[in-house]
Amino acid sequence: MKKHDLRRRILKNKAIYLMILPGLLYFVLFKYFPMWGLVISFQEYRPYDGILGSDWVGFKHYQRLFTEPMFWTIFRNTIVLFLMNLIFFFPVPIILAILLNEVRLQAFKRFVQTIVYIPHFMSWVIIVSISFVMVTMDGGMINEGLDAMGMQKINFLLSDEWFRPMYILQVIWREAGWGTIVYLAAIAAIDPQLYEASRMDGANRFRQIWHITLPSIRSVIVILLILKIGDVLELGFEHVYLLLNAMNRNVAEIFDTYVYTAGLKQGQFSYSTAVGFFKSFVGLVLVMSANWLAKKFGEEGVY
Amino acid sequence: MRKKQMTSTFRVLCTTTLAGCILAGCASGTGGNEGSATSGTNQGGASTSEVKAPFKLTIMTNLHTPEVPTDEIEKMLEEKTNTDLTINWVPDGSYEEKLNSSFATGSLPQAVYMKNQTTYILFRDAIRNNQFWEIGPFIKDYPNLSKLDELVVKNTAVDGKTYAIYQERPLSRQGIIFRKDWADKLGLAAPKTTDELYNMLKQFKEGDPDGNGKADTIGLTDRSDLVYGAFKTVASYFGTPNNWGTVDGKLQPEFMFPQYKATMDFFKKLYDEGLINKDFPVTSKEDQQNLVITGKAGMYIGSMADVQSLHQKTVEINPNALYDVANRISGPSGDAGIWSIPGYGNLVLFPKSSVKSEEELKSILAFYDKLMEPELANLVKWGVPDKHYTIVEGGLVQKVEDTKMTDREQKPYEILQVGGESTIDMLRPYNKLPAKAKAEELIIENNSMLINDPTAALDSKTFGEKGVELQQIINDATYRYILGNLDAAGFDGEIERWKKAGGESIIAEYNDSLAKSQ
Repeated sequence: MKKHDLRRRILKNKAIYLMILPGLLYFVLFKYFPMWGLVISFQEYRPYDGILGSDWVGFKHYQRLFTEPMFWTIFRNTIVLFLMNLIFFFPVPIILAILLNEVRLQAFKRFVQTIVYIPHFMSWVIIVSISFVMVTMDGGMINEGLDAMGMQKINFLLSDEWFRPMYILQVIWREAGWGTIVYLAAIAAIDPQLYEASRMDGANRFRQIWHITLPSIRSVIVILLILKIGDVLELGFEHVYLLLNAMNRNVAEIFDTYVYTAGLKQGQFSYSTAVGFFKSFVGLVLVMSANWLAKKFGEEGVY
Repeated sequence: MRKKQMTSTFRVLCTTTLAGCILAGCASGTGGNEGSATSGTNQGGASTSEVKAPFKLTIMTNLHTPEVPTDEIEKMLEEKTNTDLTINWVPDGSYEEKLNSSFATGSLPQAVYMKNQTTYILFRDAIRNNQFWEIGPFIKDYPNLSKLDELVVKNTAVDGKTYAIYQERPLSRQGIIFRKDWADKLGLAAPKTTDELYNMLKQFKEGDPDGNGKADTIGLTDRSDLVYGAFKTVASYFGTPNNWGTVDGKLQPEFMFPQYKATMDFFKKLYDEGLINKDFPVTSKEDQQNLVITGKAGMYIGSMADVQSLHQKTVEINPNALYDVANRISGPSGDAGIWSIPGYGNLVLFPKSSVKSEEELKSILAFYDKLMEPELANLVKWGVPDKHYTIVEGGLVQKVEDTKMTDREQKPYEILQVGGESTIDMLRPYNKLPAKAKAEELIIENNSMLINDPTAALDSKTFGEKGVELQQIINDATYRYILGNLDAAGFDGEIERWKKAGGESIIAEYNDSLAKSQ
């Protein structure tokens, strides 16, 4: 009975199902099929012998990862950067979108919107280079300013303490404007009658934001939050790698950069696959718990 | 709900286009490779009597300039060697990555450049596993290739067999380049000891050498490179061994020697007193050179041959600037020395995955044999006569002043060269700039005080597996010591960490390998 139902539904909407096909094919071909490659993390993989010819070594590479002295440092750094993203970056687009929404002058609103979008289209190399020029010790704008005010110069690039603030500021700089798009769309969908009614009841701007705007976009926020957690360990390899140096490795080395140096630069394919797999596993656990939590709080979740 | 549908449709559209692009890219890629491989085999076996169609050859090599070069020289090479060349230029900065990923996916071209000795060592294991052609038995059949220096060829061998043809490099180009006009103004002679070196750097900072009345100069400009930057060269002056040294007949890594610490202390002093650029652990080569070009720093330690380009760029800003070079600096022990490389820079290997037959290999070797003929060697080294260089008195080469043009058209091709001046009868350079001429002399003089790497011909499995990663522990510790984040005890702790993480095996394996070779 149920089966029959499904077939009828598919036949009825065949155009839509047909449109899904290329996307489905993409995921099978480029996302699911390559997972087969994960088996090399249980092998001593040699490219010339291939997966079928290489020797099996069991959990050797995972053991190596967990006993590596750097392991907990990398784990901690990854989680800390992730939490910083969540706490300091995640709310920024929401606040920005609400502020933009309050701007009544359309021309000005569009102008501001465009300005805050632009950094998104610049590569990390450019963003990091611009900051580099600003904070370098030899003639950097900020350090020259500090010097002129009679203060001690700060070595932003070569210190443990400044890596994280610099990282998160650059993330906000580049992505905050872009992140507002979805929220602005969600806000635009709110029924204007709600605002009119609240004004009748004497609600001021802040009351309106608190009681109408925010509750109306709550589900969007939750969904984006879960998606964000899904990207948990995608902290921007390129970005961190560009900022990474000998002096801040203790706080800056994350799974992505470690996989790059161990795997691609040194050709330890099996080991870096094991590291990557572990990283994805942590990501999966986090997404599932976030989704579970979202449902607990009566939201829809992503699945 | 409605919005959800919208987004998913949008996503499908995006992914379709993306998948399309990727598929198209893949398809054309494989097609090209297959084509070249098959035609290559045919060509190799074809008879020599009739006029042959050009032999198709694919090459992957590293690119040192920002742009891919124009194909003028490539066309001339193709014509002269009857070859259809496809050169895959890969930026030097990401070369290892590209090399490893191409190797892993079996997509290496027919001739692969190894970039340098360090990268080559990582491939020893694959060479042993029969992934590359052994060329030793064939070399003698080629008039030019057989002229390659036996000693250097031996340095490149794996288990006594020859797999690679090498590109010649002077054993050591390292030395000091400094602002002669600044030194003259301050009444300083070229440094002879590390103390004089320090004194010069101090005077360059405090003596107002540019005479503008402001304390806006520093001594040394350095970059984020402990090997080709200033550190390793200064370490030689202090008597540090080259990578590995011997204590009571046992091999030990350089950083366990007191001289290495003395070098770190020297750099710490430079850093603490502001005699070196503060950001040197993250400074690029370009920024490093800019500091000396713009008259902010007075000394550059590295390849002495760089004096030519530094001079050229500096006089554009300050016509009165004058450079000089120096070497043979003695440390506290009174001896002078300089670290050396094993006589080769880049190397070429021929993967079995793309070179399918012995005939094909022979055709490739024939191409490289022709490349060693003086005419072609000069073409890749100097470029096109009367365009990239002119012949001046005594038949010497004078390069044109326009380095932007030569960077774009000729310089990248230098990488193709095999052998070098000592094996090919090539044109020699005329050095209008006295400092450059002196640099060439000092590079030859360096040969009298070389510090060799005793592990160059030895082998360690662990080093091949995680040597780079382990070296990073030491590099980080070195920087942190110089910048004052780590004390002597802390540095020793890092050495212990290195040992535990695999260093002990490396020491043991190198010593075993040494014992076997004796």
